[in-house]
Amino acid sequence: MAYTGVMPSARSRAMVREARHLLFTVAPGAVWIVIFLVLPGAYLMGVAFMTNGPYGLPQMPLSLESFERLAGFGFLGWSPGNLYTLLRSLWQTAVSTGLVVLVAYPIAYYITTCREKWRPIMLLLVVVPSWTNQVIRTFGWMNLLAPGTPLSGLAESLGLIAPNMGLYPSSFAVTLGLVYNFLPFMVLPLYAAFEKLDTAQVEAAQDLFASPVRAFWHAVFPQTLPGLLAGIVLVAIPAFGMYVIPELLGGGKGMMLGNLVATQFAGGANWPLGAAGAILMLIATFIGLFAMRRIGKRLGGGEEVVI
Amino acid sequence: MRKRTLHRGLTAFWWATLAFLYLPLAVVVLFSFNAANSAASFTGVSLRWYHQLMGNEEILSAFANSLVLAISSSVIALGIGCLIGYGMYRHRHRKLGWLIVLIYLPIVLPDIVFGISEMAFFVQIHRLTGLLQPGLGTMIIAHVTFQIPFVALIVYSRFVGLDPTLFEAAKDLYASPVKRVVHFMLPTIKPALISAFFLSFTLSVDDFVISFFTAGPESATLPIYIWGAIKKGVSPEINAIATLMIGAVAIAAIMSLLFSRRRPA
Amino acid sequence: MNETITADAVAASHPRPSGATAEGEAARQASAIEMQGLHKRFGRTTVALDGVDLTIEAGEFFTLLGPSGCGKTTLLRILAGLEEADDGRLAIGGRDITEVPPHRRSVNTVFQSYALFPHLSVRENLAFGLKMRGMAAAARNAKVDEIADFIKLGDLVDRRVDQLSGGQRQRIALARALVCEPDVLLLDEPLSALDAGLRSQLQVELLRVQKRLGMTFVFVTHDQQEAMVMSDRIAVLNGGVIQQVGPPREVYERPVNAFVARFMGHDNLYPVTARQGGRLTTALGELAAEEAGEGDLLLIRPETLDLLPGEVAGDNHLPAVVAERLYRGSHAEYRLEIGDTTLQATLNNRGRHLPEVGDRVTVTVAPDDLVTLSE
Repeated sequence: MAYTGVMPSARSRAMVREARHLLFTVAPGAVWIVIFLVLPGAYLMGVAFMTNGPYGLPQMPLSLESFERLAGFGFLGWSPGNLYTLLRSLWQTAVSTGLVVLVAYPIAYYITTCREKWRPIMLLLVVVPSWTNQVIRTFGWMNLLAPGTPLSGLAESLGLIAPNMGLYPSSFAVTLGLVYNFLPFMVLPLYAAFEKLDTAQVEAAQDLFASPVRAFWHAVFPQTLPGLLAGIVLVAIPAFGMYVIPELLGGGKGMMLGNLVATQFAGGANWPLGAAGAILMLIATFIGLFAMRRIGKRLGGGEEVVI
Repeated sequence: MRKRTLHRGLTAFWWATLAFLYLPLAVVVLFSFNAANSAASFTGVSLRWYHQLMGNEEILSAFANSLVLAISSSVIALGIGCLIGYGMYRHRHRKLGWLIVLIYLPIVLPDIVFGISEMAFFVQIHRLTGLLQPGLGTMIIAHVTFQIPFVALIVYSRFVGLDPTLFEAAKDLYASPVKRVVHFMLPTIKPALISAFFLSFTLSVDDFVISFFTAGPESATLPIYIWGAIKKGVSPEINAIATLMIGAVAIAAIMSLLFSRRRPA
Repeated sequence: MNETITADAVAASHPRPSGATAEGEAARQASAIEMQGLHKRFGRTTVALDGVDLTIEAGEFFTLLGPSGCGKTTLLRILAGLEEADDGRLAIGGRDITEVPPHRRSVNTVFQSYALFPHLSVRENLAFGLKMRGMAAAARNAKVDEIADFIKLGDLVDRRVDQLSGGQRQRIALARALVCEPDVLLLDEPLSALDAGLRSQLQVELLRVQKRLGMTFVFVTHDQQEAMVMSDRIAVLNGGVIQQVGPPREVYERPVNAFVARFMGHDNLYPVTARQGGRLTTALGELAAEEAGEGDLLLIRPETLDLLPGEVAGDNHLPAVVAERLYRGSHAEYRLEIGDTTLQATLNNRGRHLPEVGDRVTVTVAPDDLVTLSE
């Protein structure tokens, strides 16, 4: 190979090579996601600002009509139906997230008190049900809560429900389904937080405060807060957009935002209205992600939690 | 004393929670063997619902669709995701924030928003160009889109776990760029690739919402078929398919776990 | 294990790998390394190499010595082809390889982390380079057996990489590079991860292997003791610039500047305040030096000093007080005070009466043991 004198270009040639390598490896996937997710998402956002046309398809001109309808204003004046759905989504999300915390917190703590070799297996046991199809899991609850089943019988004899009604469809069934569905999402980050718990602090607190309740509140709880907040984001965001569970377990009275959105597309009823609902969900998602990012800086590494 | 009481209480709570988690699945599996056509009473063991499955053309084609969808989308996602995972690793010192956002987008987007965006987009493209007719093709596209990030992250984390000097050792020992891929990189990340494939497969079989919105009339998968059957009125047949799916997914998920654990030190 | 082998036994019972036979001599004669004006910077500001000119002779055990960040590893990586120089030229055996990628250079590296492939067995690791060069399986196996014999790997060849200890990994890494019979072998602090005992064993082993094969070794280390034990010649680097090149004795006894002197472990450096003919005035007093040179720092090596009890007058005789004594068995180290100035001395404990702390003594030094150097 001939020596070409000084080589001011060695550096820039290496940079070009690296840039080409980056393009070659990353471009196929990046382009795929842009074409098949970013563009569709952008289109959907556009649809939300269009007018509802025949067959529910969007058409010009641009308007805020669908957002007005989402707030309840229609041809027949104001009706609370859509607002109720929105409020119910928020309420269901809040209640089920709260219940998930109440169940997951002691479970996550309990796993960390067990022997180290059992812990992965215990975590696995918590996670495995979520690997099966959501429709099937929900179907299992339909079987359990239907009229004539032992659980419904028990509820009947306690006078909680009218005879022969069964526990589903109902808001209660939706809440139960949501708690069931999202429990693992809360246990994993909480477990991570408990595992990192600084026991020296707990012991010091026991010395200082004596009462176990105060020791917990001052030494344990603050340390698990990042995991708890991460779990809340991981549960609340998808719960707010849930479709399958309210559709199967809720009946007409259990409808949530996800069902409202889906109906506008599945039935071809009103795309712009559905798209407007989707934008609400996106806003909720991004608020959650922003919160998660801030928590993530303290907790460190959120990706294994997602998987 | 009080500590022991607390622990005993927690143990009881743990078993109760496990019962809560497995009860719905157990009911499905149990009633798939029910002799009677009832969801309320178990009258005896029988395989009649499994026999009935075998004769149901619709179910068999849904099963075939599920399989084709899961395998082909996983293979495509494996190729694309593997490249991104390596690119992210090799260029990890650059500012790749935009790429991270793009990678996480499919993971964080609510299923329903994901599904309807693609459906609306595909429908409009189809109206304009005749391409992207709803069916297995559009479903494969949608599934690959949500599988790519998982494959990329698994491959990336495998590379990050390696001694970076290994790449230099391969160069130093006369491996050309192509030979480095064949004799060093692919064999080294093989466990990660297998694990990523099984995870993709599981995610695909597991998905209902996105499939539901991107499917065409001929391309119903098992979850879509089950959904339809539930909506029409519960049939014990569903218990039988559901049981088979629970089994298949559990096996795939455990395989994925085994391969991700078995990494050389 | 068989970490301890004697190279003499190796030589007696094993033929050299074929790369070391006479036919390879001609090629090796030409395998000297030439570097001219090598420059390398990282980012915009960090200068790793600032114009390195260096020639390494064929068959030499050559060491690049310096503190971390001095550019020694960057220079090694440029030799390997793992970094590209921004400017300058590099030739091996008279052939310009400045732009040749690493996989086409007849150069192999023993990495600090050993970099054994975890997905391969030890045997497959050893055969990797040969396989990449397209050697047939049978020939490969024969070569691997030959090198395993030569390095005395024994049954290690059939183990998995994760079953090996640090010392064993180091030797596999060495064997993996040697089996390729490169023109030049590069070693990037290969012993730094090992404990002291194993380390000195492997130093001797490595040196013997190099002498047997007559291969050119370029060795990087920050440990001046290791450099002196092993090297034919040493290059001391600092701030991306070569400070001094020479055999260990020259670099240790005649350092060219204060940096090299301090890096080689010298503390007895004194500014020369006045000079008259061969007589130098420092804070210690007036001393006669034979080849004082032009430098304005006087270096007194501790082992060149002698101590006489009491006060004895004479040329190059300095009165001192023993401030500290560290007994080391074979020798002792003394901290002496001459006025406000301290001086280190190292003396053999050969049947003498050892001076105690607080004793008044007289330090003597021969005029031809004194050197001056520049700051």
